[in-house]
Amino acid sequence: MIEVNNVTKKFGDFVALDNLNMHVERGAIYGLVGPNGAGKSTIIRHLCGVYKQDSGTVTIDGQSVYENEQLKQRFAVIPDEIFYFTQANTLDMMKFYKGMYPKFDEALFKKILDCFPAINPKKMVRTLSKGMQKQVAFMLSIASRPELMILDEPVDGLDPVMRRQIWSLIMSDVAENGLTVLVSSHNLRELEDVCDHVGIMNNGKILIERSLDELQTSITKIQIAFDGDMPALPDNIKVLKSITTGRVHTIIVKGEPGAAEKAIGTMNPLLMDVLPLTLEEIFIYELGGENYAVKDIIF
Amino acid sequence: MQSKTSFFSLVLFKKNISRTWIVGLLEFILLTIIMPIDFIISMAHFDDYWYAESGYTKTAMWYESISYKPIVPFTFVVAILLAGITLWYLFFKRDNYMMHAFPVSRKSLYFTSFISCSIVGLLPLILNAIVLTVIAVAEQVHAFDAIWYYTLVGVVSTELFLSIAFFSLMTSGQIVTAIVFYFIFNFLYTLIEIAFRLTASLLLFGMSESLSGLTYNMASPILFMGSNCKVSTYTTYDDLGQIKTFTHNLDGAGYLLIYAVVAIVFIAIAYLLYKAKKLETVHDFISVSFLKPVFSVGISFFVSMVAGAFVAGLVDSAHYLRYSTRFAIAIISTLVIGCIIFYATQMMIEKTIRVFSAKKFGFMICYTLAAFVAMLLMRTDVFKLENKVPDAEDIAWVGIQSNYTMVFTDEEEIYSVRELHKNFLADKKELRDVNVIYQDVPGSTISFKYKLKNGKVVLRTYSVVDTNSEEVSDTYLSATEPILDYLNYPARIKEHIIGNIWNNCDITDMTFSTYTYDEKIQDFHSSMESFDYLTEKEKLAKNKKVYEAVLKDIDEGKLFITDFGMESFYDEDDVLYNDFSFVVYNSEVPYFSDEETYWDYGWAENGATYERSIYTMLTRDCTNILHALKAEGFYEDDNQIITISEYNDIMGYNDDPIIY
Repeated sequence: MIEVNNVTKKFGDFVALDNLNMHVERGAIYGLVGPNGAGKSTIIRHLCGVYKQDSGTVTIDGQSVYENEQLKQRFAVIPDEIFYFTQANTLDMMKFYKGMYPKFDEALFKKILDCFPAINPKKMVRTLSKGMQKQVAFMLSIASRPELMILDEPVDGLDPVMRRQIWSLIMSDVAENGLTVLVSSHNLRELEDVCDHVGIMNNGKILIERSLDELQTSITKIQIAFDGDMPALPDNIKVLKSITTGRVHTIIVKGEPGAAEKAIGTMNPLLMDVLPLTLEEIFIYELGGENYAVKDIIF
Repeated sequence: MQSKTSFFSLVLFKKNISRTWIVGLLEFILLTIIMPIDFIISMAHFDDYWYAESGYTKTAMWYESISYKPIVPFTFVVAILLAGITLWYLFFKRDNYMMHAFPVSRKSLYFTSFISCSIVGLLPLILNAIVLTVIAVAEQVHAFDAIWYYTLVGVVSTELFLSIAFFSLMTSGQIVTAIVFYFIFNFLYTLIEIAFRLTASLLLFGMSESLSGLTYNMASPILFMGSNCKVSTYTTYDDLGQIKTFTHNLDGAGYLLIYAVVAIVFIAIAYLLYKAKKLETVHDFISVSFLKPVFSVGISFFVSMVAGAFVAGLVDSAHYLRYSTRFAIAIISTLVIGCIIFYATQMMIEKTIRVFSAKKFGFMICYTLAAFVAMLLMRTDVFKLENKVPDAEDIAWVGIQSNYTMVFTDEEEIYSVRELHKNFLADKKELRDVNVIYQDVPGSTISFKYKLKNGKVVLRTYSVVDTNSEEVSDTYLSATEPILDYLNYPARIKEHIIGNIWNNCDITDMTFSTYTYDEKIQDFHSSMESFDYLTEKEKLAKNKKVYEAVLKDIDEGKLFITDFGMESFYDEDDVLYNDFSFVVYNSEVPYFSDEETYWDYGWAENGATYERSIYTMLTRDCTNILHALKAEGFYEDDNQIITISEYNDIMGYNDDPIIY
């Protein structure tokens, strides 16, 4: 659905996006992760049609996004900082969204509004708390019946219950209507629960882009112990990191875990446990080292 | 709902109106107060107003009132308020990003915003015109053309200022800066002209009065429209203050058409800027790339040029400088100040003080060289400002002002004055330094003023010193004496100082004051013989005899003589304290006043005048006049004649210096 090909964007001399490529399938929930300043918000602003790339293409369903009114009617955006008109209350904003999005579902909006009893729809949105403003943004976006939802740090500022409630709303829309979601967040634990695809960004580039399952099976944590010193591992086992605690060695191995397990098994270890890595661990190991310097880990 | 026409979005339109209607309401309230309510009150008390006493009809009063009601400054403020509120989102990252993430194109955003601003800005004007029309019908006042022309001026100025406001708001990412730019763009031409005139007045030879005669150009609409696009009235009164004639005009329809076209051009340019605008430039001082060097170089050059000239002027005021020295100081100051301002503007544009890179230094060097060349061009008078003597066929009249004022309209005289001026400028190298070379020689000034047929004025003023001084050089004399010879020619004095009716007039009045010292009060008694016992005919005959003596003294070079060494009449030793004046009158020939023509006082007069009072400072050397005055009984005793110097001595005014 989303195709970003060789996109470069410079702000003065600073290269914010450097020949970036990104691909999001229809119906996917795509998590965009990366350290601060990696360029996540910048690429999201390109996808919203706010920024225009210096070079490359940004398309959704094969159409260029920039200045494409018809295309934009099919997706909703919740930026990290949400905009509401001064003096506008939730109902005013609903009317505005209704005018902007042809598929806006007022009944759905009212139904969702009932799920958030703390929000007074007649109160000016700008006077609501940050969390409540986010909730209003979600209500408006979901009621717009989008095919694609682009979320930049969406649940920042929400309490855990509300986060869960928001995600369940989105997930049900995904399940019922095949909604595609692109979400950027620092909360990797949360993304791990909801995303099926992940793109890891750094220095304006997508370093890794694959399904979460693939990602989690491509890097493995193996805890092993030998009688005496650990023998040298075969060359075909690519070790990203090795930590020794007493006689127990923890190694992070890149590649197919079965092959590493088989090779180490032939070395007669006293103990061998193969453990999956969390997304957070993968993120850290992929971007680990000083200043997130990328090591030779690109597949 | 999104309209099918992609340049308009109904939902955005409603949203814009919901935020700006208050401005429109305020505009309507203010217009209602200054026009309909004011008119209703005036109509109700019409008979009590001076209008009725002066013979005005209600219709004439309406025309007169509408001609004074301001509309252009009003729309100037309304336009920026409307545009600022509507395009507010452009200046805040969150608002800007979100608005452009909505399914609405910039075309829709722009034109919907412009349409909503126009409607809110124009509706009060139209409503006001309708209300006024209804009142006019009710009061049977037939000033409909004025009401609707006034409204048309408001409509065009609103659209023009809105277009400039939209343009300004596209050029910066900061709302305050954008509003400042709006003001600058409206006054830009005048500001540039003032900068050049100010510099010229401080540096260039003969241009010390450059700041006077500034006229507003079409390029400064806020200043130009108000005085050129309006309902104007012209009234003449009789001797009793009653209206003789009343006419009105709808001025500047052609200008309105031009401004309407300019508004369309600005709307288009502003749209193109918006289309090309990079949204990441929010909060940038200037958000349009090509304007950055224009701003930086423009501000650096104009501010430093004026500042440099001021520095030179300050030094000159402390100690007279030669022309070349003054210019050298100005050039150095301009270049140094220019470099500082160049970097300051870079800091504003880049939003950092870290702008000292090799690249910027290179730009600064290029700018400095360009500024240096510009100043050198000014110094060498490449633009022909100092040496400018207008072509004879372009001149309506030329005036010379020194001790007296003369204005020449005759073709031959214009030619002669041009030649005198050209001859003067041919020797300017020494003349421009007279204040330094001849510091001890008394001096004054001489001005040449050319009124061109296109209405423009070329004015040059020069310092000159006494030609009778032994210190002055032959070069100086050859440049200045021909002018004095020309001005002191008796026939010319009669024609231009007494006036065009000098040889065909009655002297309807003549006064001469005499002074007698009174020991009791230790002051002078002043008296004046009025000849009340004589008939008018006898008085005219008496006056005529003295007038003939006046002409004789002029012929002998004793009266109305221009002398470059006379700083003030009051400083001259032999000038009389006695006042002498007479009135020339011809009922058939209108009097042409050189003085009023020169100073453009014509506007103050309604209709032709046939008489003029001539006042002159006599000297003891005016023997023909003094003899005639005595012979005709204006005074009896020579002791009643006293010079200013003698008066001051007797009164003790010369004893101690006056301390201020």
